[in-house]
Amino acid sequence: MARLKLFRWQSLIPLGILFVLLGVLLWLFLDLLVERSVERSGTYIVGARVDLASADVRLGDGVVVLRGLQVTNPDAPMTNLIEAREIVLNVRMAPLLEKKLHVDTLALRDMRFGTPRAESGALKNPPPGSGQIKRDIDRWARQIKIPSFSLEGLGQVVNVSAIRPESLQTLAQARAIVAASDSMVKMWDQQIRALDPRPQIDSTRAFIAELRAADPARLGVAGITTLATNARARLTAVTQLRNQVAVLDSSARGGVADVRSLVQGLADARDADIAFARGLLKLPSLEGPQLSPAIFGEAALSWVKPVLYWMRIAEEYVPPGLNPRRYAGPRRARRRGTTVLFPTGQSTPRFLLGYGEASLALGGTGAAAGSYAARITGLTSDPILTRTPIALLASRTEAVRGPRDIRVAALLDHASRPIRDSLAADLRGISLPSVTLAPLGARLLLGTGMSNLSLARSGDQLDARWLWRSPDVRWERLTAATPGNAAALRIGTKAWADDLLWRTIAGIDNVEIDVRLSGTVTRPSLAVRSNVGETIAQSLRREFGREVERAEQQVRAKVDSLVQSEVARARAMAETARAKAMDEIAPRVAEVQQVEAQLDAEIRALAQRLPAGLRVPALSIPGLPRAGRPDTTVRDTTRKTPPDTTPPDTTPKVVPDSTRRHPS
Amino acid sequence: MLTILKIVQYLVRALNSEGTPGQVAVGFTLGAALGLTPIANLHSLVFIAVIAVFRVSVPGAFLGWLLMTPVGFLLDPAFDAIGRALLLDAGELTPLWTTIYNTPILSLANLNNSVVLGSLIGWAGLTIPIYVVARIGVGQYRKHVYPKIATWKIFKAVKASKVYNVYRLFQP
Repeated sequence: MARLKLFRWQSLIPLGILFVLLGVLLWLFLDLLVERSVERSGTYIVGARVDLASADVRLGDGVVVLRGLQVTNPDAPMTNLIEAREIVLNVRMAPLLEKKLHVDTLALRDMRFGTPRAESGALKNPPPGSGQIKRDIDRWARQIKIPSFSLEGLGQVVNVSAIRPESLQTLAQARAIVAASDSMVKMWDQQIRALDPRPQIDSTRAFIAELRAADPARLGVAGITTLATNARARLTAVTQLRNQVAVLDSSARGGVADVRSLVQGLADARDADIAFARGLLKLPSLEGPQLSPAIFGEAALSWVKPVLYWMRIAEEYVPPGLNPRRYAGPRRARRRGTTVLFPTGQSTPRFLLGYGEASLALGGTGAAAGSYAARITGLTSDPILTRTPIALLASRTEAVRGPRDIRVAALLDHASRPIRDSLAADLRGISLPSVTLAPLGARLLLGTGMSNLSLARSGDQLDARWLWRSPDVRWERLTAATPGNAAALRIGTKAWADDLLWRTIAGIDNVEIDVRLSGTVTRPSLAVRSNVGETIAQSLRREFGREVERAEQQVRAKVDSLVQSEVARARAMAETARAKAMDEIAPRVAEVQQVEAQLDAEIRALAQRLPAGLRVPALSIPGLPRAGRPDTTVRDTTRKTPPDTTPPDTTPKVVPDSTRRHPS
Repeated sequence: MLTILKIVQYLVRALNSEGTPGQVAVGFTLGAALGLTPIANLHSLVFIAVIAVFRVSVPGAFLGWLLMTPVGFLLDPAFDAIGRALLLDAGELTPLWTTIYNTPILSLANLNNSVVLGSLIGWAGLTIPIYVVARIGVGQYRKHVYPKIATWKIFKAVKASKVYNVYRLFQP
């Protein structure tokens, strides 16, 4: 039988040819692979289409050239967030063997922002997880309540019937007080009945009288021992009763305090209800700080959303720490699964950009025309491994006209927790955007002005301020002007409101908008202040302060009429509960305490009256002087008490001294 | 149609290979690895090299690949679960994954993907059952089925084709 050969050496050549063919295929399609990878990963991160015209990979030189990059703005799919004509990367080859991308230098040429797209960059079927951050921020933005602002209907009869009782906090709170008070009173009644201290108090008082009348000489040793034992037992019982009544008293006081605080909160609830009802009637606020959010709230939200978005992106893709990280696996016909990364302190980062620079030239003669440059250093996916913060600096290097004070600096320190981000952008003499202000029926053209953004993040806490200022704004009316005399317009009509607002804002040349973000990164609070709000508030106060005041009085009266009876009932119930606690429970505590003190005093008095030399342990009270010496003690054998369950000073026994003799 | 014919051709040749039933079964088992695991990965090259270099049945490997590919799709949820358990839940294995992840070349094998790892482990667990079933199946086929189909015209046509000569180069 021929021996079976293990190897098939003749297959090595075809196998080699196969591998070479695979290598050639990879080399031929490498450009396409890189192009698709950039598009796919970019699309996943941004949550909108990222397009690349071509990629040119020169493995020998370690150079990758990407051309025609377009990153769609996820908020405006027909606009590119960034467009770059060419990106040149110098890539290190060795880290590629570890599936790591280390870019020594990156040059981004002819970068432009906000360019229009030929077709929408919105994703029809976004991959799972893609755009999650944008969705989170959109959700947060939807939760922000922007006050409404409308002058229409102001002159009409105020329809207070729109205020529904079930929507008022005061009613709910008053009902809660009634229910809580009622429940407490019933519970206390039950507990007092269960304790029933009166019979015990009365019997103890009778026993105190008996104790007071007791003559030790007549009672003898046995009698005095029995009496003393009874007295001790009764004192223990009274102490227990006192403790139980004290617990009830404490609970009652706590309940009364809770109800009192709820009653005090009724005033705040009423104020909140009046504000709520006022909002239902769409009465305009006459206060500037309240008007500004109503006017600029939407615009401010649209400004801060990108800031929050990029901050969250930085946190997601530049995370601190070395814990294993999970991502969805590569897209393929088979299930994608989960890809887990296992970085170590000794390894190199998965992605590292040593130095990147971008140049941008804006043509023309406008305020923004000129050359700009930006550079970034230390951009990495694993900042803990590089231990250096990521720094970004962008500035205008040359201006056609106007000031050159354009500077953006950002520092991201994610090497350790808590992560710290800071951003300072100071843009002066630039063309500011126009803002459509629907509540005013106008568009604000900010013109040339300044924009200053400062942001600081530490861990989850965020503090940011974005200031816009323009000394020479223009206004465009979005509603048609009503012909005729403005004074003839009826108050409360749309035409009247539009006319009033237009007359007010048309005179405003200098605009300042101050937007502040604070709180947590995931749910920050937004505040907006502007001189436009103040000016409109002054105008409104001048024009129809009395009208608003009258309407507010009606609202207040309506709310009061709806809540008055329930509030009175709540107060009455709270008073009942308080009276119960103070008039029924507290006196019982005092009474039981008094009886306990009397019994204790009588026991002490009895001990003092004992004949000289007789010592009864049940009457031994620490600190009480003995009646006489030497002692004669006799063991009482009539009762048995386990020593571990009964306190020593109350055991019914008389302990013999060293010299045993009869007391009498 | 041509593809179906080729599949039939491979099937007939594999089962009727001149190799021993053991060689066909080993080829089938190695081919099953290509079918059960995601193909576009480094380990696939290793399996192809093993199939080519060792005297196992290449048609058997093709057969294993073809038959096990749909099974791989069906078992993906189970492979994913196995991979996740090993990568994420088995803390004692984390140093091993960390070493693999940070080792040049080895890190290209995508063993840190739950489906890749789970399917490889799954295949390793099924190796012996697959081998045994394949070996018994080939033996039974040669004993009972082949004598009947050897007389078919289509079989004779396939056996006489030029592709068969190329195939013979890889015969054990």
